[in-house]
Amino acid sequence: MTGYQFPSQDSDPLYHFNVSALGAPAVSRLGWSVYSSKKPIMSANEIERATERLTIPMPEMIFGNNYIVVAHKSGWSLGFNAIDALDLVAKHGNPQGGLVKVAYSDAWMNDKKKSSGEVHQVVKPFDWTYTTSYQGTPASSLVSFERTSETIPLGRLRRPDPILFFDDVVLFEDELGDNGITIVSVKIRVMEERLFLLCRFFMRVDDVLFRIRDTRLFIEFADNKILREYTVKQDSYENVKRKIRHSAGDLGLYLRDANWVAEQLPVVETFTETSTIPVIN
Amino acid sequence: MDADVTMTDAGLSTLSPVSHTLSPPSGEIKASPVTDSQSYDDLDRWIEMLMDCKQLSENDVKKLCDKAREILSEESNVQNVKCPVTVCGDIHGQFHDLMELFKIGGPNPDTNYLFMGDYVDRGYYSVETVTLLVAMKIRHPNRLTILRGNHESRQITQVYGFYDECLRKYGNPNVWKYFTDLFDYLPLTALIENTIFCLHGGLSPSIDSLDNIRALDRIQEVPHEGPMCDLLWSDPDDRCGWGISPRGAGYTFGQDISEAFNHKNGLNLVARAHQLVMEGYNWSQDQQVVTIFSAPNYCYRCGNQAAIMEIDEDLKYTFLQFDPCPRAGEPSVSRRTPDYFLVSF
Repeated sequence: MTGYQFPSQDSDPLYHFNVSALGAPAVSRLGWSVYSSKKPIMSANEIERATERLTIPMPEMIFGNNYIVVAHKSGWSLGFNAIDALDLVAKHGNPQGGLVKVAYSDAWMNDKKKSSGEVHQVVKPFDWTYTTSYQGTPASSLVSFERTSETIPLGRLRRPDPILFFDDVVLFEDELGDNGITIVSVKIRVMEERLFLLCRFFMRVDDVLFRIRDTRLFIEFADNKILREYTVKQDSYENVKRKIRHSAGDLGLYLRDANWVAEQLPVVETFTETSTIPVIN
Repeated sequence: MDADVTMTDAGLSTLSPVSHTLSPPSGEIKASPVTDSQSYDDLDRWIEMLMDCKQLSENDVKKLCDKAREILSEESNVQNVKCPVTVCGDIHGQFHDLMELFKIGGPNPDTNYLFMGDYVDRGYYSVETVTLLVAMKIRHPNRLTILRGNHESRQITQVYGFYDECLRKYGNPNVWKYFTDLFDYLPLTALIENTIFCLHGGLSPSIDSLDNIRALDRIQEVPHEGPMCDLLWSDPDDRCGWGISPRGAGYTFGQDISEAFNHKNGLNLVARAHQLVMEGYNWSQDQQVVTIFSAPNYCYRCGNQAAIMEIDEDLKYTFLQFDPCPRAGEPSVSRRTPDYFLVSF
C-alpha cells in the first residue's frame, strides 16, 4: 500500500505526491507522465489517523490510497487525492446558519424538544455534505495558477483521437446517512497530443439541494499548454426535479445521473487558469 | 416435535440433505402457518430456483409474503434466539456474496442465522436476495431470524434501488408492494441467550430497557423520528452521551450510554450493522458494541472484506471474514471502458 506520508509541518499539503516514489507511470508522452492508483477503502487504522489529522469524521467510503497525478519532467505536477480534498471541507459551522440540513430535520428536532427533557447537542457540527472546492494538489509552491481569458479548446477534445490511457478513480463517497449522495471522482483520458482530466464533486441531498463542482485540466503536450477550469453549479432539488419530463417515467434514474443533473444546474461561478512549467536549465 | 424438523423428515431432500444431523431446534414458534406438504414442495422448489438467482413469479411472491407475514407477526419486537447462531450484517442485494456467506458459514438450516437487516437496495439482486431470505425464513422459521434494517422501508427503497429493480424485473410495482408491506412485520431486535442484543442501527434515548422495545407497535412504516426510527438508524460515536448528527437528524450514542444500557439489561454486547467497515467487523466502545457488515466489496467498488459472527454453544464468538465471490456476467463498475467524456461544458 502507498499509505499516507503525513507531513511534518501543518502548512504542508496533507498528502505528498513524491512523484519519484510513485513507481512506473501509467503512460508517458512528450515529457508528461500520468500516475494512477486504485485501492480498497481505508482500513480502520488508516481512518483513525486521517480523522485525527483532519478533525472531522471520514466519509463512509474513503479511498485514501487512490490518486491520479499528472507530472512533467521539469518537476511540475498536479495530483488528486481524497485526503487533500477533504481538508478543504468546512470543519466547523452552525446547522442554523449555513450548513445544509436533511429534509426532515426541523420536524425531527421539534419532536425531540417536545418529548425529551434532556438537552442534546449537535456533536461538533461540520459540513457533513463534504462540499469541497478542491482543484488538485500542486507538487510545490513552484506550481502556481493564474487567471486567463483563454478557455479549454473543446474542438480538439471532441475529435475521436485514439485514447492511450483512460482511468476513472473514486476519491471518496458518502451516502449521507441515506439522505442522498456525495461523490468525488477523477476521470482522465490521455491522447497522443493532449490530455483531459475531470475531477467532479457531485452532491444530492434528497428533497433539498444539488451541487456540482468540476475541475477540468487540459494539457497540450507539444507546447506545454496547461489550462484548468473550475465551475460551481447548484440548484434546489425541486427545480431539478421539475425539469424531468412527465413522460420520463422513473425520476430516480435522472436524479442519480450526475451527467444529466450537470446539464440542468445553472452555473454559479466559473473561471479558467493557466500554469507554466519551470524552465529547465 | 418442531414443525420444520417434522417437515424436513418428510423427505424433502432438495434443501437439507443432512437434515437428520440437525441439532435441537432453537427458539419457539407458536404456530406454523404452513400445514401441508404441498406447501413445502412449493417452498423447496422456490428455494431451489432462488439459489440459482432466478426470480419467482409475481403470484408466488404474493403467496410467499402472505405466509411470511403470518410467521413474522408472531415474532416479538425483541425476538429470542438461541445459540449456536451466526450473526450477519448488511447484504444490500449482493446475491452472489450471500451465496458465498452461506459457503463460509455453512448452509441453513444446518447453521442457524440471524440477519440484522438491509437485504435490499444498492446491489443488483435485491429481489432475489430478499425473496430467498424470506423463503428460507418460512421453511425453517426457528433457524433463521431476519430483522428489519432502515432499508426495509417504502421510502428508502424508492430512492436506493429496490423499487426500480422490482419495476424492471416485474414490469410493475406489485412485488415491491408485497415486500414493503411485509417489511412492517419484521422484528426490530433480537436477543441471543439473554446476553447479546442484536439490531440494525443502535440505541435510542427513548429506550432504557428491552421492555420499552417490547411495548412498541412496530407494524408500520419506519417513522422519521422516535424510538423505532432510532433503533434502525443510530450510530455509536467516540463522544460520550447522546449526540445529534451534524445532518440535523439522527442520534449518536457514546460508550457511557452503551455501558449503562448493557448493565441495566444484563447484556454482554450490542451487535449491530448499518455501517461499512473495511475489515467486515469493528469493535467499538471498549467492546460494548460490535459493528458487522456482510457485503464484501460493497457497491462492487469498495474493496472491503465482509464478516459474520459465529456464536457457539458456550456463547464464544468467532469472526469469519470473506471476500467477494468471483463472479461471472455481473456488471462491473470498476472496469469502465475508455470514453470521450466531456461532461456537459
